[in-house]
Amino acid sequence: MNSTQSSGPAVRIENLDKYYGSFHALRKINLSVKRGERIVVCGPSGSGKSTMIRCINRLEQHNGGRITVLGTELNDDVGNIDEIRREVGMVFQHFNLFPHMTVLENCMIAPMIVRKRPRAEAEATARRYLEKVRIPEQAMKFPGQLSGGQQQRVAIARALCMQPQIMLFDEPTSALDPEMIAEVLDVMVTLAAEGMTMICVTHEMGFARRVADRVIFMEGGEIVEEAPPEEFFAVSRNERTRQFLSQVLDH
Amino acid sequence: MEMIVVAPPAPGRIEDLRRRFFATPLQSLLSLISLAIMVFIAWKLLNWAIFSAVFTTSGGPEACQAAAGACWSVIAARWRIILFGLYPFEEQWRSALACVTVVVMTTLSCMPAFWTGRRIALVWGTGAALYYVLMKGGVLGLLYVGEEAWGGLALTLFIFVTTCLIGFPLAICLALLRRSELPWISRTTGLIIDAVRSLPLISILFTFAVVLPFALPQWLQGDKLYRVILGSALFFSAYQAEIVRGGMQGVPKGQEEAAMALGMSYWQRIGRILLPQAMRNALPATINQFVVAFKETSLVVIVGFFEILASGNAAYGTGDWRFAYVEVYVFIALIYFVFVFSLSRYGAFLERRMSVGER
Repeated sequence: MNSTQSSGPAVRIENLDKYYGSFHALRKINLSVKRGERIVVCGPSGSGKSTMIRCINRLEQHNGGRITVLGTELNDDVGNIDEIRREVGMVFQHFNLFPHMTVLENCMIAPMIVRKRPRAEAEATARRYLEKVRIPEQAMKFPGQLSGGQQQRVAIARALCMQPQIMLFDEPTSALDPEMIAEVLDVMVTLAAEGMTMICVTHEMGFARRVADRVIFMEGGEIVEEAPPEEFFAVSRNERTRQFLSQVLDH
Repeated sequence: MEMIVVAPPAPGRIEDLRRRFFATPLQSLLSLISLAIMVFIAWKLLNWAIFSAVFTTSGGPEACQAAAGACWSVIAARWRIILFGLYPFEEQWRSALACVTVVVMTTLSCMPAFWTGRRIALVWGTGAALYYVLMKGGVLGLLYVGEEAWGGLALTLFIFVTTCLIGFPLAICLALLRRSELPWISRTTGLIIDAVRSLPLISILFTFAVVLPFALPQWLQGDKLYRVILGSALFFSAYQAEIVRGGMQGVPKGQEEAAMALGMSYWQRIGRILLPQAMRNALPATINQFVVAFKETSLVVIVGFFEILASGNAAYGTGDWRFAYVEVYVFIALIYFVFVFSLSRYGAFLERRMSVGER
């Protein structure tokens, strides 16, 4: 199977169902993401947005429907899961950097042990991406010595070092102090401009307006609305979307 | 207008002492009384251990017994029994070399420079082979000495090191099995751990040494020494497994998720992400467990092995030197102290080293 085939959508989700015990977290989600497309997912907390993107790299196991990533279907086949995870990078709300490794080692470990790249090549790649997220001088520090914004940029670099085809962002700025949000968003904007396929769960509506091709609004485990940003912010058809937007935009 | 604030000068050492111990007349009195008691005890001890003690064997046991102080002659006369037990006298240099081997091997593997799979394996492989050949002989023109004749410090070190060497990996396996997602695996492992922990070590040693041979076929029994080591390793691993599990619980769930999202396999996640952090969390309790294991080696006397404490017992014996048991036990206590204290200091070094990346 060739995961790098360039035809077909990057991610296709069909009739996705997810339960936590008896709680129905995702209800018949349908979503198709084209290569190079930038999707912003928003919605009130508990609406299932994080759960949905965590299903895409199998951090959550779905209970019904189909998820196809880069032409490979996500099922119980461990080989498929590993293949997809290599091609899908993820950035978490709480960074999840490895605290026992330096910044550089954080960026080198996966390319070395997962992609089996030689150390020198992995280091060169790591330094290049640290440069890209504008913290090359922090390479030898440990994550605990960096600010939140710096840590999140390292986390982005770490994901990019695997040279993924798709990037998932799970509320990447929600745990940051306000003055650090911009530095992380800047990096994400640059990434978007380079044509990376991105699915971002975020409440940063300015970011959505600037880079998203489509904005998706979720509530109660369902996709309630889906529209290009200009349309989404100007003429939302849905009452619940308008209410949510007024809450996040008016402050 | 700017105000310049100057910190009050730190009190000098004498001033500090005065404030702490001689602030009021009553406090001064209590301090002086305590000081007098301490000086008295120190003087008594020093007098016993050094000033009135006998150090040479020239006078024999009688002269030594007559002396007011300690009789260190017993150590000079019997140190070989304490250190080497029943090991044949002419061959005791081998036992001494074996002790040195264990100490060197342990020291090397404690050094960060040796923390790669290949180097550690090399150190332990050579060390173990060297120890075994030295102690057992039968090859290279060395006289054969069976395990039943091993004793003293060499035996204590051997039991301790092999217990840890077998018990530690076993503990990690048990801890991993216990957090398995399959309930029948995790529950069974939990049951085994709890069962072993609820038994006294002595009963486990006794079972492995004496009862097991009835249950096992001849070819599977091995020497009693190795069965005893297995029993003690099992006991060690049950406790250590819970320590490791505690360490694992201290690693945030996001760590494993991040490793998964990067495509790492189960063993890569365990080996590179989970265990290094878990062991850091578990380090103080782990060192504690090692110290306990070192001291518990003395229990093998119950199944007939002459480790250092039992050898000491034999050293003062029932003959000429039987009055000098305190000196022998003080000597053995010093040996224990050297090993356990080094272990604790090494633990402190590791903690300092590992806290570099702490948030």
